[in-house]
Amino acid sequence: MENVLSILFCLTLLYLVITARLKTYVGILRAQGILLSVIIIFPFLRHLSVHILIIPLMSLIVKAVIIPRFINKIIIDLDVKRIIEPNIQPFNFLLLSVASMSVIFIMSHVLSGYTPIETIPFASAFSAIVIGLLLIIFREKLIVHVVGFLILENGIFLFGTSIAAEMPTIVELGALLDILVVVFLMGIAVNKISSTFTEQKVTVLGGLKD
Amino acid sequence: MDYLFLIGCSLFIIGAIASVLIQPVRKALSFFVLINTLAAAINLIFAIKRLIELPQVSNLFPVFPQYASMFRADGLALFFLLIITTAAIPTVISTYSYLKHYIHKETSVRVFIISFSLLLLFTQLLVFANHGIVFLVFWELMTLTAYLGMLLEKEKEEVQKGSFVFFTATHLATFFLYIFFFLLNDNCGSWLFSDFHISSASGTVFYLVCLFGFLGFGMKAGFMPMHFWLPWAHPIAPAALSAFLSGVIIKTGIYGIFRIIEFCSPLPVWMGLVILTVSLFSAVFGVWYALAQHDIKELLAYHSIENIGIIGIGIGLGVIGITNSIQPLVWLGFGGALFHTFNHAIFKSLLFLGSGVICHNYKTRNIEKMGGIVHHAPWFVGFFLIGSIAISGIPPLNGFMSEFLIFKGFFNGAAALGEYYPLLMLLMTAGLAFVGGLALMCFTKINSIMFLGTERSRLDSFKVSRTDHTAMGILAFLCIFFGIFPQSILGIISSAVTLSRNELDMHPYAMFTRWEFLTVIFAGVLLIVMVMIIWKKFSTKQRISDAWGCGYTPQTPRMQYTASSYADEINSIASHTLQIKKHAILPKTMFPKKSNFVSHSEDFSEKRIAAPVYNYIVSKINSFDFLSKTDIRFYISLMLVIAVIYSIIAIIWP
Repeated sequence: MENVLSILFCLTLLYLVITARLKTYVGILRAQGILLSVIIIFPFLRHLSVHILIIPLMSLIVKAVIIPRFINKIIIDLDVKRIIEPNIQPFNFLLLSVASMSVIFIMSHVLSGYTPIETIPFASAFSAIVIGLLLIIFREKLIVHVVGFLILENGIFLFGTSIAAEMPTIVELGALLDILVVVFLMGIAVNKISSTFTEQKVTVLGGLKD
Repeated sequence: MDYLFLIGCSLFIIGAIASVLIQPVRKALSFFVLINTLAAAINLIFAIKRLIELPQVSNLFPVFPQYASMFRADGLALFFLLIITTAAIPTVISTYSYLKHYIHKETSVRVFIISFSLLLLFTQLLVFANHGIVFLVFWELMTLTAYLGMLLEKEKEEVQKGSFVFFTATHLATFFLYIFFFLLNDNCGSWLFSDFHISSASGTVFYLVCLFGFLGFGMKAGFMPMHFWLPWAHPIAPAALSAFLSGVIIKTGIYGIFRIIEFCSPLPVWMGLVILTVSLFSAVFGVWYALAQHDIKELLAYHSIENIGIIGIGIGLGVIGITNSIQPLVWLGFGGALFHTFNHAIFKSLLFLGSGVICHNYKTRNIEKMGGIVHHAPWFVGFFLIGSIAISGIPPLNGFMSEFLIFKGFFNGAAALGEYYPLLMLLMTAGLAFVGGLALMCFTKINSIMFLGTERSRLDSFKVSRTDHTAMGILAFLCIFFGIFPQSILGIISSAVTLSRNELDMHPYAMFTRWEFLTVIFAGVLLIVMVMIIWKKFSTKQRISDAWGCGYTPQTPRMQYTASSYADEINSIASHTLQIKKHAILPKTMFPKKSNFVSHSEDFSEKRIAAPVYNYIVSKINSFDFLSKTDIRFYISLMLVIAVIYSIIAIIWP
């Protein structure tokens, strides 16, 4: 079941690569939040307790409710253009992503012979990290950069669950808090600079250099 | 008893927190002074008690048994705690009046208060660290808090520059120490100091460990080619901090060198000779550079280098003693070094606190602009004079006693070792005596120029507050006390030397000089001098005229002898190394015209070694400028590319 959910997670990544609408980005973030919460709860289904439920619940609230809502709010407040202009052909980007994902899957299969990892969750996590980075590299809009960082973080989250059965609770909670704060800070920063940089693109941020 | 140190440390933390919370800032300052003096006194009592009782190594923080192995209170650490707290009490007291000036000027002093109390705490914890990483953490925290404290007058450009030099130099030292500890850990399979042991049988690693250890700790201590940060950092720090910096923080470098000797034993003989040579070089040129300075604090900073050199000579002697297994030499070398470390902390703090008072009143650090202070503040000048006599190594003050131990070590080494040693020891004796002579010259220079004569620039009043008098009085008393009664501390030093070398039986060498004869003689000399002073004051008639008037009636202050002319004769001998630059505009005609003369000395190692290396590195780094883009996406793609390359290498690696 974990494997199926992980594959689903990978499909959302591919959808993320070809879409051009901001609304879809937010929607996918939300979907990934739900998926991740379900994935980390799976190993503990047999013996559920309040203590174990804390992390999935928190991540569900933060990743699937608060953060998407906040990003939506920024989009509406700043009146960002709802469609991005890709500077790489969507098909080429998709090809690049699929290629890197297949390399990652093959490598994880090879690796699983040496170290005890679960191949598919591990590979999906790794793919999320790489695709988050690629998204940041190939997109210019600031708000998409925020999404890219969040995807990267989702990957790291999944990574933790795929390597160790459970990460220490305090670490997970700390990471969640970090992400929340970072998103808020970025939101505030984007808000502040909106009067000067109306375009909301990273290419113009070079003007801030002294 | 066991809880004393814990209480002391928590008082430092309480002091730091309270100085943020208490309003107004004047009350916070009083609270800071009170509680930190108390805390330092508690830790001082702890150190003395532990040193006298000669305990087995035990847990420092009884409340936290799980951290027991992280800290260790052996003789060496306890002795350095003694040094730290002895210097901390007067410096903390003196901050009271010093910082009040800043509160009047509405400078924010809270950051200084916090960082100073944390600095005191971290320095004390540093010497107890028994774990490589814990040591590095406290080392770093000590540097950071010292740096923050230095930024009290951060709007001045020289403060920004000097603190930056301090910051970079100490981080270079930290970098060497990282390599030092990693190599040790790699070789010994543990992070604990008590497990670190490496001998020359392990080949290259042994020499690398020694090299990086001596580079790192030597840079912090300020041995000669690596000393260039000291004359930058000390003048710009607030007086109390520069006293603590020179009295204690550079001594952590000495502490580290003692640890190297403990970890890497036995050191080969040639290393002892190298230490001796470098130290003698530092001592001679440190004091010679000091002679060439006009800036009182820079001058004192160079004197720190000189004294570090003297301490290093003691350490070198001890190392030679260990390798030839001559116990008296070990004791005299290490004991002399430790005693001098202690003494230097006392008299250098005294001198720096004094210089702080002077700089506050004159608003300049240039000694050529001062003069006649003795008429304003006789007690203050008396205390400063005691510090000067002590640092020049003149009996009966404490500076002489520690140098006496080292001299005795020379003679002992010459007698006990054959071969070329008598000649070497003779050379070292002459060198150390020469250093003493130059130091004496330097301090006659500043004492006579600053305190005697007539005022070179107008000064309405010279204020010395009661706390300044207290702080300097304590230190001056200690200078005299340990000069006349060295036996009071020699037992403690003896246990510090033996405990740090894991030898449980105490050496009786502390007592092999009949110190009580010295006490009687010195006390007698002191008494005679005092009687003569009183007799002269009341018996002879005094003629009152301008100071150094020499029968010349229409005298102006500008006609007085200057500090640079006093020192010029000797400085001209080493003018190439001292890099003395003279700029003169002299009238060529026979009629007097406007003329002037400026001379200053540049630091050889800074101008010829540190600055070229720094510029070379900067220019090399600038050639990578094309990698600097304004777009974050460029950096992220770079990261991704490098991660991919690393992964490929990791996979195809056999």
